[in-house]
Amino acid sequence: MRVRPLSTAGIALSLAFAGSALATPPPLPAEHLVVQQLPPPTPHWVYVYDTALDHETDYRVHVFDGDRGTLLGQIDTGYYPGFGLSPDGKTSAVATTYFSRGWHGTHTDVLEFTDNATLAFTREIVLPTQHMQGPPTPFSVTYSSDQKFIYVANITPAASVTVVDLAKGAVAGDLETDGCALAIASGPRHVSALCENGKLLTITVDDNGKEASRALSKSFFDADKDPIFVQGVQVGATLMFVSFLGDAYGIDLSGAEPRFAAPWPLVTGAERGKWRPGGSQPVAYQRQLARLYVPMHRGTEGSHKIGGSEIWVFDTDSHKRIARWPFDTHRFLSIDAVAATRDAKPLLYATTDSADLLVLDPLTGRILRVARKVGQTPWFLVTP
Amino acid sequence: MKSRSILDRWFESSSRSLAQRTSRRGFLGTFGRILVGASVLPLLPIDRSGSASAAEPPLKKSVTGDQSSCDYWKFCAIDGFLCSCCGGSSSTCPPGTTPSPITWIGTCHNPVDGRDYIVSYNDCCGKTSCGNCFCNRNEREKPLYRLSVNNDVNWCMANDNPNYHCSVSLILGVAEK
Repeated sequence: MRVRPLSTAGIALSLAFAGSALATPPPLPAEHLVVQQLPPPTPHWVYVYDTALDHETDYRVHVFDGDRGTLLGQIDTGYYPGFGLSPDGKTSAVATTYFSRGWHGTHTDVLEFTDNATLAFTREIVLPTQHMQGPPTPFSVTYSSDQKFIYVANITPAASVTVVDLAKGAVAGDLETDGCALAIASGPRHVSALCENGKLLTITVDDNGKEASRALSKSFFDADKDPIFVQGVQVGATLMFVSFLGDAYGIDLSGAEPRFAAPWPLVTGAERGKWRPGGSQPVAYQRQLARLYVPMHRGTEGSHKIGGSEIWVFDTDSHKRIARWPFDTHRFLSIDAVAATRDAKPLLYATTDSADLLVLDPLTGRILRVARKVGQTPWFLVTP
Repeated sequence: MKSRSILDRWFESSSRSLAQRTSRRGFLGTFGRILVGASVLPLLPIDRSGSASAAEPPLKKSVTGDQSSCDYWKFCAIDGFLCSCCGGSSSTCPPGTTPSPITWIGTCHNPVDGRDYIVSYNDCCGKTSCGNCFCNRNEREKPLYRLSVNNDVNWCMANDNPNYHCSVSLILGVAEK
């Protein structure tokens, strides 16, 4: 038989195969299943509230690391939950609803706690079956500044606030807030609610969590002509809300009585009514930069839940608009929710109608990272 | 602490209770009376600038007749899954569900007859979310501190089984111009 001589290339290839066979690595070692430990918390964690719209008995909060754009873990949150972080950032508190047979059976409302260092459930406090089954807001579950009490917003549809004593692990009382909704905590013993007539109700509680006094403010916005979104942000001592038509309203809750700043416009006269804030969380604030971020869209009456095609950036000292950042609406559809980190090297987060989480440079608007499909309907963001 | 029984009595029948007990008594007191039988309703104090006019081009079928479309005129402030895509219709709950006795209210313009109608958006409850035909239209909708015209809260909240399944849109009557 004639043997075809190997070419130089053929020899090289054969040797390579032979060498490869000789150098076959050892088999992979056996693996042992352990639980991934969370890295130490950083100011760049973000809690992404997912309403899981297509299966609402199963809301959840996804915890993301903004520096890497990766998912760290999940907190299960039941049906129509309110979500709040403790002032020290160590604990997640969830007021939610469960049914004993999954989708039916005994209805129980409960305040659940998660250790944010491990994402493990730690304890629960049973609530009256009246917690607000509504949109995510920063004022659904709030802590007193000394972390003695948690205030839970209720709507049955009668509005009230449940006061929970954390040391006792029990409900301390119930504050009627008829005509006024939400539980806006301020200082150690104040809780406020926004009223249907544009006023602010503030209740002072005593050390037992019982009502000590209450005060109703003057009207500070027109709930008919230009209502404010309920997703406010803390700007220093001021709690700031934006309105449907694009005015910024500030309330200083640090004193004995609320003080209302004169509203200032986010839009020019020519833009008013044409460009509007919108989405599920239409305002964020970064304190070191003194900047307010508002998703804006071209809209009309009734468009207030449409997210932004742009984010507009404002200096909260000068009230000047300092940037407009348009987004790729073909890719992301719209910006639904925004939140900023609170540290000196901040990040800005945005979730989109495409269910993506954007990590943005809060100085330039440049997209640093995109986490795709971070849930089904990620409509609310919380930063520690 | 509030008890459910008190609230059940408070909201024992329907949205009539809610309408009559909010602070917008000027409008809603009138509205409450309308709900018990009048056929001509007062127009809400609203901006009608978005209403259709005769000069506009012919409307699509989705606006005038397709009850599985978010564009359908009766859905002008609906936020949720259309019951017409879940085994029911725009005015019937799917089998095995339970209507919510309380509701939010809208005013929608019917381009076919040119009338404005007061519309009640009831939820159908007792099963988990349907997941079909999600619509979110918010004409004259207000935040939750204006509860009677808010569509964000779960209007199944007062049902024995408060699971939200889908939403319907019931004509209550003609809004008076």
